[in-house]
Formats: sequence, structure tokens, C-alpha cells
Amino acid sequence: MRSLLSTAMAWFLMVIKMWVKRVKTPFFDRSGRDRTSPHYVVRSAKLCALCIVATLCCASGAFFVPNTALIPLLLINAALLGHGRYLGGRVRGLLLLFAIQLLITSMLYLLLHGVERLHEGGLAVTRIMLAIIPGWWLSIVCTPQRIGEVLSWCLPRKWAFVMAASFSLLPYMAKETREIYQMQVMRGANITAKALCYPKHWPELIYCVLYPLLIQLLKLSKQMALAAKLRGFGSHKRPTHWPD
Amino acid sequence: MSDKGFSLHDALFIGFCATLLVALKGMLRLKLGITGHSMFLICFFYLICYGAVGKAGAISACGMLAGLLAMMLSVGKGGPFILLKFALPAIAMDLCLLILPTLLGLKWRFIMLALVATLAWASKGLIEDLLVGMSIAVALVQFAKSALFGSLFAVFAATLVPPVLQRLRSHDLLDNTELK
Repeated sequence: MRSLLSTAMAWFLMVIKMWVKRVKTPFFDRSGRDRTSPHYVVRSAKLCALCIVATLCCASGAFFVPNTALIPLLLINAALLGHGRYLGGRVRGLLLLFAIQLLITSMLYLLLHGVERLHEGGLAVTRIMLAIIPGWWLSIVCTPQRIGEVLSWCLPRKWAFVMAASFSLLPYMAKETREIYQMQVMRGANITAKALCYPKHWPELIYCVLYPLLIQLLKLSKQMALAAKLRGFGSHKRPTHWPD
Repeated sequence: MSDKGFSLHDALFIGFCATLLVALKGMLRLKLGITGHSMFLICFFYLICYGAVGKAGAISACGMLAGLLAMMLSVGKGGPFILLKFALPAIAMDLCLLILPTLLGLKWRFIMLALVATLAWASKGLIEDLLVGMSIAVALVQFAKSALFGSLFAVFAATLVPPVLQRLRSHDLLDNTELK
């Protein structure tokens, strides 16, 4: 219990420190240029690794700590929620998830156990939210590149390269997907957001959008593998990372 | 994550499939309010990976990468636990493949894999519900609901995969000829 509290205090101090750092940092740099990712405050890989470990501990705590230790965990999560909100994170999705979960669970408790055990359902849903909030906070404070770098410490070289390549190709894939999707909608395919509410239109999405995309990906992966091999991929023992 | 037996081309294709799965999940946001609809995309891409690469472990690799990417991109708001959501069905499918290949044809094999993946996915929810202290009756009802709706979507996706693989093969885009 004492070690849990000391860990919580240390993490809370770290959050406050980052918060203060964020307050000191202006949204616009000296040139007056708007920064592309103003809410990422963790830019060092080591601090990012610490954040991941802390997130894992906090999220696991939501499942395993006894009810008596829930108050400190609630306070930590409240601080994370406030910090994330302050840095520009959207809490609407979290609130919606909480409301839906609470509604379904409460209804089931009412049906199966009656009113006297309703508070147990509320407690269970609160614990689920306590497991989700640290992950939400992590995605707000750490840059995806730094999370990728931390993950590459424990991944084989080939898979680290695959992750980096996939991640850097994400904008290209999103652009291709959007273009193919828009072209197919213009051709009259029933794949608009409204049409996709009916699962009978999903095969059309597969054949009109995913099939051309898969062809693109197969070709791209072949070309990229060839290019990487020609540039000596795998011939050096210590691969390097592109700096920020 | 084992990289045994995968060429760089295979590994990149698996990575791209995982990225596309996560990107589509983030972009489309099929907020239907129906439990289990995410099993549609998950099953589709895992089975495409298996069909295109044709090696044991391809689905697990795709699942792990999808989980890591979803964690990095915060798709699904699960943080590090989102890894389990993607990895568990994938590992269950790969384990099931140790028995299935000799027994069933491609279409039925895919349907069985989809059902196994749904069971693993729903079991994760059941374990989570029990860990947070829900009563067994409520957790079991939630599990049954997830398993039922999830399996409907997963089987639907599984039936769409063989024609897509057939088309890719007819365009000479797949090197693997084992799966037919």
C-alpha cells in the first residue's frame, strides 16, 4: 500500500511538472508559426518509456487494486484527465463510452440482481474507465514517433523497420483510401456513411475500396522490400534512428 | 513476435495490412451501436494476411502490429490494453490453424477461424468484467452478447475473403499457391 502511494505521488509530481512545462511553452514559436502538434509534451524516448510503464501500472491497477485503494487511483486518473483535457484531448468520447457502459451494466444488474446490487455495477464501470484513462492520456502526451522508438527497443530489427515503414506510410494510405473511396462514391457505390449503416452494403466496400487498396499494398510492399535490400537493409548490426 | 520464415516482402505486407486495419477503424468510425462490429475488419484483414502470406504466425504478427499501431495512434482509447484486443484473436486463430489445415476446405476453415477469433475476443471482455468485480451472471450475459454479435460480423467477413484472394491470385499478385 505504501509503495503504491509513493509510486502514485511520484507520477503525480511528474504530471504536475509536465503541466508547468506546458504552461511555460507558448502555442506559437518565436517565428509566429503554429506548431503542428502542440499537445505532445514528451519528446524524449526515456521519458516516453517511463510514461508507458506508468500507464501500464495505472491501467493494471484499475483491475487489481482492492476497493480501499481506489481513491488514490481515482485521484491520479482525475489528474491525468485534467492534464489531458488541458493539453487539448477530447473527453467527449470517454464520457460517451462511460455513459453507454453504465447504462447497459445498470440495466443488466437491475434485471438480474435488483436494486440492492446496483452500486456494484457502477463500481465495475468506474474501474473499466480507470483502465482506459491512462491510455488516453499517453496518446496525448507522447509523440507517436517516440512511442515507436521505445517499442523498437524490444522488437526484432526487421519488425521495427516494418513498424516505422507502416507508420510513415500512414498518410499515403489514408490519402489513397480517401481518393479511392471518393471516386467510388462518385461512381454510385453504396458506401457513403449512411449506406454503411446497413451491413448489406459492406461487401461493396470490400470490392470497391479494399480490393484496389490491397493490390496497391502488395505492389508497394514488393517494391519497398527490394529498395531496402538494395540499400543494404540488414547488413549493419546497429540500425540508426532519424532524429526529431 | 517471431520473424522466422517471413521475407521482408511478407513482413511489410503484414505491416501494411495492420496499418490499413487501424487506419480504416479510425477513419470509418462505424459507430453503429452494435457490439462486435469491429470483428468485421479484424477478421477480414487477419484472414487476408493468412491467405496472402500463407505461413504460420502471419496472423499473430498482424495482430501484434495492429495492436501496437492502435496503441500509438490511440485508436480505440484502450492504451496499452488495446494490444490485447488485437493480439488475442490473432493468437487464437494461429493456434487453431495448427489443427485446422488438414481438416477443412478454405471457406469453412476461414469461418471456423473467425468463430475462434470471436470467442477469444469475447473471452477477453469476460475476463476484464470479472476482474473489475462484475457479478458472474452479468459478465456471462455480456460475454454471450459479444460472442453472438461478434461471430455474426466475423463470419460475414470470413465469407468475403476467399473471393478477394481468388481475384488477387487471378491477377498474379500472390506468390503463395498453397491455399486454395
